[in-house]
Amino acid sequence: MLLSLSWLREFVPYEGTAQELGDRLTMLGLELEEIVRPYDDIASIVVGHVVECADHPGSDHLHICKVDAGQGELLDIVCGAPNVAAGQKVPVALVGTTMPGGLVIKKAKLRGAPSCGMICSERELGLTDDHSGIMVLPETAVPGTLLVDTLELDREVLDISITPNRADCLSVIGLARETAQAFGLPFSIPERQCVEDGPAVELPPIDIRDPDLCWLYTGRVITGSSIAPSPMRIRHRLHAVGVRPISNIVDVTNYILMECGQPLHSFDLDKLEGGRIIVSRAADGEKFVTLDGQERTLDARDLCIRDAGRAVGLAGVMGGLNTEIDENSRNVFLESAVFRPGTIRKTSRRLGLSSEASYRFERGIDQQRTRWALDRACAMMAELAGGKVCPGVAVAEPRPFAPVLMDFRPARANALLGVELGADFCERVLSGLGCEIRHKGESWRVAQPSWRPDLTREADLIEEVGRMHGLDTIAPVLPPIARDLARAGEPESRFAFWSRIKRWGAGLGLNEAINYSFVGHKDLDHLGLPQEGRIAIMNPLSAEQDALRTWLAPGLLNSLRNNLAQGAAGLRLFELAHVFHARPLEDAHDTGATETGKIGILLYGARYDSAWPQPEGDMEYTDLKGVVEHLLGFLHLSGARYRQADDHPFLLPCVELMLPDGAGEVQAGVLGRVRQDMADAFHARKAIWLAELDLEVLRRLHDATRVRFRALPVYPPVRRDITVMAAPQVQVAQIMEHVRGLRLPLLEDEDMVLQDCFEPAGGDERNLTFRLTFRHAERTLKDAEVDKEREKVAQSLVKHLGVRV
Amino acid sequence: MDLISALEALAPELENGLAEAHTLEALESLRVDFLGRKGRLAHIMSALPQLEPAQRPAVGQKANAVKESLTALLEARKTALEQALEAEALRRFDASLPGRLPWRGSLHPITLVTQEICDVLRALGFDVASGPEVENDFYNFESLNMPPEHPARDMQDTLYVSDKVVMRTHTSPVQVRTMLARKPPLAVICPGKVYRRDSDLTHTPMFHQIEGLMVGDGISMAHLRGILTAFVREIFGGSTQVRFRPSFFPFTEPSAEVDISCCICGGAGHVNGEPCRVCKTTGWVEILGCGMVDPAVFEAVGYAPEVSGFAFGLGVERVAMLKYGIGDLRMFFENDVRFLGQFA
Repeated sequence: MLLSLSWLREFVPYEGTAQELGDRLTMLGLELEEIVRPYDDIASIVVGHVVECADHPGSDHLHICKVDAGQGELLDIVCGAPNVAAGQKVPVALVGTTMPGGLVIKKAKLRGAPSCGMICSERELGLTDDHSGIMVLPETAVPGTLLVDTLELDREVLDISITPNRADCLSVIGLARETAQAFGLPFSIPERQCVEDGPAVELPPIDIRDPDLCWLYTGRVITGSSIAPSPMRIRHRLHAVGVRPISNIVDVTNYILMECGQPLHSFDLDKLEGGRIIVSRAADGEKFVTLDGQERTLDARDLCIRDAGRAVGLAGVMGGLNTEIDENSRNVFLESAVFRPGTIRKTSRRLGLSSEASYRFERGIDQQRTRWALDRACAMMAELAGGKVCPGVAVAEPRPFAPVLMDFRPARANALLGVELGADFCERVLSGLGCEIRHKGESWRVAQPSWRPDLTREADLIEEVGRMHGLDTIAPVLPPIARDLARAGEPESRFAFWSRIKRWGAGLGLNEAINYSFVGHKDLDHLGLPQEGRIAIMNPLSAEQDALRTWLAPGLLNSLRNNLAQGAAGLRLFELAHVFHARPLEDAHDTGATETGKIGILLYGARYDSAWPQPEGDMEYTDLKGVVEHLLGFLHLSGARYRQADDHPFLLPCVELMLPDGAGEVQAGVLGRVRQDMADAFHARKAIWLAELDLEVLRRLHDATRVRFRALPVYPPVRRDITVMAAPQVQVAQIMEHVRGLRLPLLEDEDMVLQDCFEPAGGDERNLTFRLTFRHAERTLKDAEVDKEREKVAQSLVKHLGVRV
Repeated sequence: MDLISALEALAPELENGLAEAHTLEALESLRVDFLGRKGRLAHIMSALPQLEPAQRPAVGQKANAVKESLTALLEARKTALEQALEAEALRRFDASLPGRLPWRGSLHPITLVTQEICDVLRALGFDVASGPEVENDFYNFESLNMPPEHPARDMQDTLYVSDKVVMRTHTSPVQVRTMLARKPPLAVICPGKVYRRDSDLTHTPMFHQIEGLMVGDGISMAHLRGILTAFVREIFGGSTQVRFRPSFFPFTEPSAEVDISCCICGGAGHVNGEPCRVCKTTGWVEILGCGMVDPAVFEAVGYAPEVSGFAFGLGVERVAMLKYGIGDLRMFFENDVRFLGQFA
């Protein structure tokens, strides 16, 4: 809301500065965004008196003027405007002035004649688009005085952001009322003044077909108007508060709207057919051309103003082109009405058509000011357009304003705000706001003012007294702890579990990423992920964000691409977030979305950030698997099995992580290499290693683990190495499982580790060296018995796995 | 040559040898040569049994004395050699060599700020609650006093999954779910991702919020001010000023916006004579919204009308931007490691 300080002063004698006012209103909940000074760039323009005006001898259109601009001497100014004449008072830009467009006025010679300044048109001053000639000021203007003062321009405009509840403050009057209350000043609204000096005409009868949607409709007829631009003062004031001046009749409706918040609409009476007004719903599919020339398709939720034959206005939103005021209009039917807010909002939203009128109707109108606005507008129209106001008012009011009655308990206000406010203070505030206190006692009975649709409950009144007291002056107090003893000792929260894993990841040396939850369908398509089960965004901002991710991979891969574009040689990212899958609805409250927490880990390129003394090399499968194993160790999860899968949409090879779960196993995620043909799209020249693990599974299994101390062995171990030469299809896990299956009493499960793995050139075998650690719990082992055990292992491997030892 | 002279000759010979021994290895071979099991001393002493028994004690004593002096000579030379080697190693030591750097990881600034805020609020008595990001209209709007035609819905441009299902526009639905599941007294905070249909220099379609809710007997606005003052000082420092401005949110009444004294210019409005870009010379920056829970919300969750409570919510990105001086919101989601690694 743009509030002109001088306009405000017509209703409240506020003498302070714009900044002080803005600061005070801010602390009352009406936040000052900025102070605009719309006429500052013409602040140095002065009034000049054209003393002489002669034709330029060397030109067919230039004039040489002698101008008294209060400089003590007459200035020679050459002017090309057709309307310049001796005796006029005109705006003059003196030498040195910078014009709104940036032009600096200098001494010049025009076809030989010296010129010391410029006489300005309205367009040159940025006032209007009028460039037909120079601007001619009233006779009373005094040479040498500032133009902005002479025109009484609204030089200071406060841009105040109005919250949706304060419909009343979308007007000068509303803000004046608030200002008066804030500074303890009187507030006065002029009485209704409208002289009915026009001929008696038959007023159109008002027929409201949907009384729930139109609560009040009033109208008056003005005859004999002549359409012309409004006087300067009106035009400049509207311009200052961001409204484009159009013509005297239309400008008045906008002026009153800005002044008191009541939207008005003027119809050309002669274009209204059948001499009647009907307020009714639109027909489904009905076409209607609004004032802006757009054809709109309406439906039965929209409310229309009609004449006898057709729609002439989209109620509360915009008038129709068919009954528009034009330069030939003479007779006006002026509407001042109140419509149901929800209806206006729906129409405005559905059509994407928001106007100053709809904005106010949506938020609520002071129904007791509707008639005042109508009369004030008629009086102004008569004055500005020379029309006559016909006697009588066409009125229909199916739902007269009835104030909401609320209880207000000063004790409750004190308890809720945490301060001691006296009853006197509360009474002063509520009365000052326009509330009527009908009964006092422990609980008061308070009637709502017509201009405050937001005051309907005790809480609303408590807010008002709190606001006026100053929320910022309430002394802060820490509350007692509000906890339920029964909840003490609950399992670790989801947030705490995720936080712990994030700290693990950062501690391990991974960089945490956060990507958007939405990706493009095409990103998911690119990774070969199925269409079914995706959740689409109905109104996405772009095609890059039209589906919820079903995997973390697309986001992490995009992050990889961003980093590669910045020259990264290696990357270790991780992310914890939800993935989303659609499922059938279970009940009315169901969203149909399953959200699963995932951790995604991406490794790419150089293993180390630093060069020497770290060896060069790129990360590979074992790096990723090591990270996964580290996480499982961190969570005390053992017994993992890694199962190769060959049907994964974007990982090849793909390894499924299987964890023991009760009697069976559960898949806790996958790890593998992003298929190279897909990786190309992310400009990855090297292997991208990616893991995605299910945090829900990990958390459930982790919650079930119990960490127990195990006694340390007392007797020393004896170690033996065994080197196995095996065909490539014999996997390490197979060998280890086989040995484990022998259940040798001296060899414990964790006591077999791979020491070395290499492939001799030219052969199709791998040499795998394992270290076996033998131990007896109660004595020291002898070499001979250990050698025997090792031999058992060797022979069994040769026999059952067909390897050489 | 008698044995005594042979023994006496050993020490000078060793001294000659030591003069040529410049390594620990050469020293060791000299030791073996003189004192080893088959060394010279042993060789001389092997003749002992052939002596007259009466001569043996004198030779034996001599042999012991020679052995001691040989050992002392060897030890002295060894010490000298070791000192020289150590000095040489020190001479070659370069303290400026780069370290063998292990992987260095980092938490995202959003995570850091979220964890810090949650830690502070947990210490003030709040539990952490989570909830779904895809929400239905009831939890996201209606239960929060935002019926379908309410103009307040304009305050939050919404991303829809279907007519009745939205991407949550705030984490307030978690508060509603918590209230439906529990009875007062309760104090919870709900951190998480939220979504708006908005994307420009100062908005991203996804961002992070933390909302707090405390409901109990006699909870007042003074308590809200207490909690938020404590919270803001923990995060931004003990000298931070807090300002409550009345405002409007559909789910709180009274409502307020909270400003803190600008942490860039310290509330002065100017930095080195230049206007402060963060607070635009006002000295204040808006940090969160809050208020007393609206009775309509209590009604929606079936609480008695006489309970009271407060709620507040803040944007994590905003706090992170202020705290770390990050100027561009979009950097949070580009995941450039040069950015990610700067915070911790």
